[in-house]
Amino acid sequence: MTTPELLPIATGARSGRWLLEQLKLRRVRTAVTLLLGALAAAMSLVPVYVFGVLVDRVRDGADSSTIIGVVVVISVAAVIGGIVTGFSGYLISTLGEGILASLREAVVRRALHLPVATLERVGKGDLLSRVGDDVAVMAKSIGEVIPQLVGAFLLVCLSMITMLGIDWRLGLAGLVALPMYVLALRWYLPRSAPKYAAERVAMGERAQSFVSSMQGAKTVRAYGLESAHLKEIDRASAKARDIGVDVFRLFTRFGSRSNRAECVGLSVILLAGFLLVRGDYVTVGETTAAALLFHRLFNPIGTLLFTFDDIQSAGASLARLVGVIDIPDERPVGDGSVPSDATLDVTDLRHEYESGHEVLHGVNLRVGAGETVALVGSTGAGKSTIAAIAAGSMASTSGTVRVGGASLDALGSEGLRRHVAIVSQEVHVFAGRLIDDVLLAAPDAGRENVEAALRTVGAWSWVEALQNGLDTAVGEGGRQLTAAQSQQLALARLVLADPAVAVLDEATAEAGSSGARDLEAAAEAATRGRSTLIVAHRLTQAAAADRVVVLEHGRILEQGPHEELVAAGGRYAQLWEAWQGR
Amino acid sequence: MTDSVPLRHARTVVEEPSPATGSAILRRTVRRHRTRLIVSSLLFGVHQLCETMVPVAIGLIVSRAIDTGDVTAMIVSLVGLAALFVTLSYAWRIGARIIVVAIEREAHLVRVEVAGRVLDPRGVRTELSAGELLTVSTSDAEKESWILDLIARVFASAVAVVASAVALLIIDVPLGLAVVIGTPVILVALQRLAPLLTRAATAQQARIAGVSGMATDLVSGVRPLRGIGAENAATERFVTSSRTALAATLKLARANNVYQGLSATVNALLAVGIAGTAGWFALQGRISVGELITVIGLAQFVIEPLTGLARIPGVVAMVRGSADRLALVLGAEHVLPQSESAVPAGTDLGVDNVRFRSLDGLTFRAEPGEMLGVVAYRPQDGEALAALLSGQISDADYTGSVRVGGIPAGEIDLRRARETVLVEPHLTDLFAGTVRSNVTAGRERPDAELDRVLQASAATDVVELHEAGLDHAVTDRGASLSGGQRQRVALARALSVDAPVLVLHDPTTAVDAVTEHAIARGIAELRHTERSSQTTILITTSPALLSVTHRVLVVDDGRVVAEGTHHDLASSDAQYKDAVLR
Repeated sequence: MTTPELLPIATGARSGRWLLEQLKLRRVRTAVTLLLGALAAAMSLVPVYVFGVLVDRVRDGADSSTIIGVVVVISVAAVIGGIVTGFSGYLISTLGEGILASLREAVVRRALHLPVATLERVGKGDLLSRVGDDVAVMAKSIGEVIPQLVGAFLLVCLSMITMLGIDWRLGLAGLVALPMYVLALRWYLPRSAPKYAAERVAMGERAQSFVSSMQGAKTVRAYGLESAHLKEIDRASAKARDIGVDVFRLFTRFGSRSNRAECVGLSVILLAGFLLVRGDYVTVGETTAAALLFHRLFNPIGTLLFTFDDIQSAGASLARLVGVIDIPDERPVGDGSVPSDATLDVTDLRHEYESGHEVLHGVNLRVGAGETVALVGSTGAGKSTIAAIAAGSMASTSGTVRVGGASLDALGSEGLRRHVAIVSQEVHVFAGRLIDDVLLAAPDAGRENVEAALRTVGAWSWVEALQNGLDTAVGEGGRQLTAAQSQQLALARLVLADPAVAVLDEATAEAGSSGARDLEAAAEAATRGRSTLIVAHRLTQAAAADRVVVLEHGRILEQGPHEELVAAGGRYAQLWEAWQGR
Repeated sequence: MTDSVPLRHARTVVEEPSPATGSAILRRTVRRHRTRLIVSSLLFGVHQLCETMVPVAIGLIVSRAIDTGDVTAMIVSLVGLAALFVTLSYAWRIGARIIVVAIEREAHLVRVEVAGRVLDPRGVRTELSAGELLTVSTSDAEKESWILDLIARVFASAVAVVASAVALLIIDVPLGLAVVIGTPVILVALQRLAPLLTRAATAQQARIAGVSGMATDLVSGVRPLRGIGAENAATERFVTSSRTALAATLKLARANNVYQGLSATVNALLAVGIAGTAGWFALQGRISVGELITVIGLAQFVIEPLTGLARIPGVVAMVRGSADRLALVLGAEHVLPQSESAVPAGTDLGVDNVRFRSLDGLTFRAEPGEMLGVVAYRPQDGEALAALLSGQISDADYTGSVRVGGIPAGEIDLRRARETVLVEPHLTDLFAGTVRSNVTAGRERPDAELDRVLQASAATDVVELHEAGLDHAVTDRGASLSGGQRQRVALARALSVDAPVLVLHDPTTAVDAVTEHAIARGIAELRHTERSSQTTILITTSPALLSVTHRVLVVDDGRVVAEGTHHDLASSDAQYKDAVLR
């Protein structure tokens, strides 16, 4: 099994910047959230401070009624603290979930705008695991980890300040533990980072093997490959599992280091208190308050340290997501050129997929306004390559493509699709209502436009017959359409998109030959009045075209109207004879 | 109705027990990891017990050492504190490792089980899309296994609460009772809020899975999207769906945070009650300063396990939601009943009066050794016939009978049935791997034999074009190959299996006319030599393929309307001529 190329991954610094930008966009909300968080933390410190005072009062033999003030103060703190905790928790959620939504939207936006060539190269598994696993990891950390982390961080800071406020020497004793925590982190992070990275990769492989088998389940069953595919899924999943266990073993050792820091920190505070009380610098109550404050920090510090783990894995996911967002948009922006007419000109087109292996050797081709030109040739002649380049789906190694005199680059990617559209051999019915599927081509079109488009391609009769008509759920999870029906939807989208130039690459092939005739009629109706370049495997399409271009090994062999070529007795005449079954 | 119906009823259906409900899945998880769960719960209990002892130790050290200034007592204190921390640390470390191994193993088992269910030879009836299945197999499998962690933690939290209560009872009975009574009261009150959360969590998880499913669907159809410039419309659509999910998440967050705020307040007030009473007792001289500190420390400490317990409903809701979604797949019915053990003796195929989808009383026989052409005037008839013969349709879904070697299809051992009749559908699925791994479909084949099938399917160029030859990498779904290459590699795969009955549905639609002729001859030479009894059914309207068949059936309106040799039909039947001679 070959390892497919992966999409780029952003650096940590870049991911951080992205996050900061998002927070800046929500400046006020961020500030209010932090403020309320700090207030909640402060409220939780009140009782500890008050207890320290109480201990001294008890030792001083104060009156029993002292307790009333204490109870009132800590009760008020409890109620305010509870309310503020709820509010700040909700604010953190709105902040985090809002950023998460922006993130997944940006990733999908970028994924759908990626160069098609890039997508094919990396395979869908990597992208799927980013859109699925990584977004899930981010969702978990934003939903659960971040709120805890923010709360813990504020509590630790305020506690340290309070301890220093009680007595600077006791405060310093408490700070002794900090370097130990930092050392524990510095021991742990460099060791765990590569393991997390490996875990991510393993999860990506797992997703790839899983989705591939799910999508091809029928073929898997037909060939009895169930156990082979299951074995592969098992292998990929077991690998992810083993790495997961391995990462956790490391984490538990880190946990022990944190316990050590707690033990030393508490011992130092108690020892310092012991000496300071003997020297009469501090009271027993102050020492008690400091010790209790520190003890109170065990959990928040634990949260901070342990969620570093989650933060690290969220960071890895974020880097993979920002990596997708940051893939530069290399699509040409255009210079505002507008085609003067609907002609398509291909000049001196050369292309090589692998360097040194040229597949097109200087092809010149012209499709006049409203003309239909069919590309004919045996497998590997370069028909699909020309179609993809002519439609702007792929960049050629050299040569130019012009629509109405304007080069595709000058039109820009957005402008290009207003004038040129391609229906390729890959059919996909988008999950959802049938009308929404067609409307993808022109979201603002009305119901009647969709109906008209479906009528044009001859699909209306069966659409009308569906139980919910245009509103029937189709695609994954909905009604399964036949290959011909799916292809008709693709042609209906073309009609609705209404480009001046249409490129059809084996568009009728998917229907099988019995439906091909209907689809040919549909394709003809869909491209009527458009300048059309058809990759024809069915020679009837060539015969119906205004002109036929015969390709062989990346060169144009002959071209002209069907009758002329048949009469000429060349390569096309041979093909025609074979096609007729003689 | 035919005789296959009573036969189906007579069959004894033996289903392996597979959990069909969320709670059954959770129960099995607990059963499966019983020992690890018990051991780690106990160790977590020890850990929590030690954690409980920390505030008790602080109280002891303050009163016995710091307040008295006794150096020996201070040294003993510090040694004791260290011992406490060592125990605490190791109990957690070992316990956590044990439970994480169980969790990772469980998630892996469930994940593979989901894959196994979807890939089961008998098929599975599920409405989930591939993307949703990915979510179920990754995040839901993981979340479901957290039930183990949940139980261990609940046990440990309970231990902490009980230990605190015991310590408090030793110090003062009314104080101890306050904790023993106050704790369950609070828990019950908080539990009453749980059902509200369960509903919200399930709805939210479904919505988020929907968003993930949509992302997958759009990414899968990125090529057709780009072809008509619909990437912006698709992105808009995803953003709308993402915003809906965001609103759902925030609705849940609001409920959750009201709950969090409330439980924080209630827990803090409980602690106030305990500490207030203890302070009052101390001021009265009923308990010592050391005891007061212990009580304060415990009251502070006990909030953590209490809050942990209060969070249970939310976690349970999440775990339940995931388990319920897993049950949708694991509990889904199979398409086919338990397979029978009959073994077909011959390679003849009989279809008798079948009504299925668009088929309406289809009857025909294919003799051993015959190469039979089927021309379906309506494409849906061809699709339905290919599906019918695929062995992946339950005989409950059609009427009439399909017999292989004289035995009703439903009675044949599933594996044997698919080995006997292989259907390569028109829309082929290739898998990530190499040309070799795709063509051999998991079976060992010598290169010479592979050469023969590659020749027959005219796929030699796929191998010859690349240096790696047969080991040339193929990306998932064959995306790295052209449409024609994909079709021919899939054909080579179908031929390499050497099935006694082979059904090919439009195998050459993306292939040029010359190559099509070569393929027709190749199939005939490979499978239909003088002595061969292999049967081949070609569902096609390609004259090239039909011209090598022995006999052709013409299907219209779901039944056979004409029959004869290709030559006879082509010269006598005008409609036939129109359909195939293009």
